[in-house]
Amino acid sequence: MNDDIDNKDDEIMQAAAGLATEVAPGRDLWSGIEAAITAPARTGRSRWNSVWAQAAAVVLLVGGSSGVTYLAMKEPAFELQPNNGPNLKQLEFEPVAGSFGSQYNLGSDYLVAHRELDARLNQQLERLPAETREDVRKNIETIRAAIRDINKALADEPDNVLLQDLLLSTYREEMDLMIKVDGLASAVVRRNDI
Amino acid sequence: MAAGNVCEETPAVTAEPATEEARWVEKARRSDTGAFEKLYRRHVDKVYGLCLRMTGNTSEAEDCTQEAFIQAWSKLDKFRGDSSFATWIHRVAVNAVLGRMRKSRREQDRIRAVGEIAPPRESIGDSGNLQDMEAAINELPSGARHVFVLHAVYGYSHDETGNMLGIAAGTSKAQLHRAKRLLAQQLKTASGEV
Repeated sequence: MNDDIDNKDDEIMQAAAGLATEVAPGRDLWSGIEAAITAPARTGRSRWNSVWAQAAAVVLLVGGSSGVTYLAMKEPAFELQPNNGPNLKQLEFEPVAGSFGSQYNLGSDYLVAHRELDARLNQQLERLPAETREDVRKNIETIRAAIRDINKALADEPDNVLLQDLLLSTYREEMDLMIKVDGLASAVVRRNDI
Repeated sequence: MAAGNVCEETPAVTAEPATEEARWVEKARRSDTGAFEKLYRRHVDKVYGLCLRMTGNTSEAEDCTQEAFIQAWSKLDKFRGDSSFATWIHRVAVNAVLGRMRKSRREQDRIRAVGEIAPPRESIGDSGNLQDMEAAINELPSGARHVFVLHAVYGYSHDETGNMLGIAAGTSKAQLHRAKRLLAQQLKTASGEV
């Protein structure tokens, strides 16, 4: 009985030793390896730093968007009557969702507030004196071009915290400018009303 | 084959790079991806074969192989040449397989599914009874399978096998015994013996 078991064990071990130890993969795996080892080195910051930075970004976005919403809502409603000034090229811009990596998005409050301000922006610009209007338009376009460039860079390096911070501050600059334009145009209307 | 932590060896005096492979390692350490590709081409079949036998799944074996080479690239400075590059990359590959399996609970599902689904098996370059043996190995529980593959197929000692898998040499012997019993039963069933 024991001899039978020993013989069987020997057979199994001999069969195992006869199995091929080298097997060619069904596809070339090098391209994936090469892509991984030649990818740009990540920043020296720890994962936690990145997480905190992203969390801070989200908090700022939510806080900023809430503030903007509050400012937009507390202004008394009034109807703007477009003047007969020259038609300006419409400024069109849509914030890019998912810019802050896979874990965070632009807050929905922010997006709503942005859409509202953006919808009023072209009307408000028409209220401003031509020279001011042109300056504001250039500034807005510069900021938005920067946002597009940062988003392009983030597409290549979605976890780059510096780029995320830069994008966040640029979004805030844009928002601040739109709020100022909104307030400036309102003041112009009020003075006209008086 | 040297014992020690997987991927980490005690610092030793680096031998003068006498062989072609040693020169590739030296160049790869200096971030020469071309030299690393040569190391990959030379060892990929053996690494993939090991991963395939340990995981029993082609796509997981491909992932583990890629992960092993990516880890090897990042840890090349820890390879001092105490053992051969082949042995070292094997250790890295075993680590990659175990790390992947620890993260995944699919292993138990896979074991159950093997018998139920019985997908077309990839030829591993053997024929006849050896294919029965391959099929039988693939159905072993993971602990017994890993020990059997490393010890019986790849010829590592129980000390080395235990060291790679993070288990005692005695446990490796017990798992081998278990594997042989299960294989004997399966092969008996496959051959129609009662």
